[in-house]
Amino acid sequence: MSKFRKDDGGKKAPGVNTSSLPDIVFMLLFFFMVATTSKEVDPSVVVVSPKGAYTTDLTPFKQRSEVDFLYLGRPLNPARAEAFQGGYALSLDNVVVPNPDGLYTVNAVKQWKLDKFNSKPNTMKSNIDAVITCIKADEKAPTGMIFDIRKELQAIDAISVAYAVRDNGNI
Amino acid sequence: MAKREVPEINAGSMADIAFLLLIFFLVTTTMDKDQAFLRAIPKKVENPPPPQDTQERDICAIKANNNNQLLFRDELLANPDDISEKVIEYYRYNEEKNDLTSNYPLYTRISLKEIEEKMAIVEAEIERMESTPDQSEDILKYRYDELAEWQVKLDALKLYGKQSLPEVSSQAHVRVEVQKKTSYELFAKIHTEIQEAIYTLRNDASMKLWNTSYGVITKRVDLDPKNMEDKAKLDLLKLLYNVNIVEVTPK
Repeated sequence: MSKFRKDDGGKKAPGVNTSSLPDIVFMLLFFFMVATTSKEVDPSVVVVSPKGAYTTDLTPFKQRSEVDFLYLGRPLNPARAEAFQGGYALSLDNVVVPNPDGLYTVNAVKQWKLDKFNSKPNTMKSNIDAVITCIKADEKAPTGMIFDIRKELQAIDAISVAYAVRDNGNI
Repeated sequence: MAKREVPEINAGSMADIAFLLLIFFLVTTTMDKDQAFLRAIPKKVENPPPPQDTQERDICAIKANNNNQLLFRDELLANPDDISEKVIEYYRYNEEKNDLTSNYPLYTRISLKEIEEKMAIVEAEIERMESTPDQSEDILKYRYDELAEWQVKLDALKLYGKQSLPEVSSQAHVRVEVQKKTSYELFAKIHTEIQEAIYTLRNDASMKLWNTSYGVITKRVDLDPKNMEDKAKLDLLKLLYNVNIVEVTPK
């Protein structure tokens, strides 16, 4: 004696109406398009940024492409780290090559920055001293390397720098 | 002619297409914002002039060594969280009244009348220079810049609404001195603390003057750059607490 009769005279369950599914998905799509920004390169070095507060948001500069990122961290492949002085490598657009003498590639910063600057169309170019170079360094990286980068940038008048951190709100 | 029935387009795969796009955007974009401390590197000079004598009271040196130990004005500092309080004290000590015996930077207080007098002098100078031929453009431009600077101060003082405008000595600066093996973590911490000090100083002044936080004013100017009222407030706050940061390259 069952309340649920199995045979209901061959009547099929009505299908769920999925005609509004695309609308829902499009809504999600638009949300993500508005709320996110496109990713920079996935750097080939591991960078764990230190925490910081009271920082400046670089998004408006990114939208005007007035910021270049360089990464200072340990190479993804730990075996490669030995080739670098102090185990830290500089990633310039994912090019991570140790110099013959085992130094990190700080000498290449100058050329990298100039190439980036010259590749921009003239109509959307601001002065090189206004184009920010954002250094994303690992929390254990020695500060001496950052000052080496600064020295290279100073030589070509790219005098705006930014030190990237993870903002943890207002402490 | 009989009307032919248009067959309905099957939209069943629309969701699949939308999902495909959605997943593409999920993968190629990132939510997190890039937060950073903006700093300027001093311009390259071919023949640097001999360093000026700076009084000890004008230097607020924060030093960190290879073992990540801190010195604040040559005193050992165990907790880096204390830097901001010390920087605030450094800028507040002589704000109300100059104490010549203290080791803190001195303030100048200029009144509205004095600013107007200075402006009159510069204006007369410009007039004299324009009437004489063969004037160097550079000097004239320098004078105009000077006039604009006084104008900013005049506007700021009018907004401030007090007898005089306190201004810290132009030599006063926060000096960050690190060594080569100081960790980036500590370096970032020092910058956080300096930035916190600047924020607190300006925020307190802005709360006192207009009962609005400094963050709100900055945000408003960011959203609407033509907002002259808030821009003037921001200029005043920046003039009141003008914190110069000097980063010394480690040897």
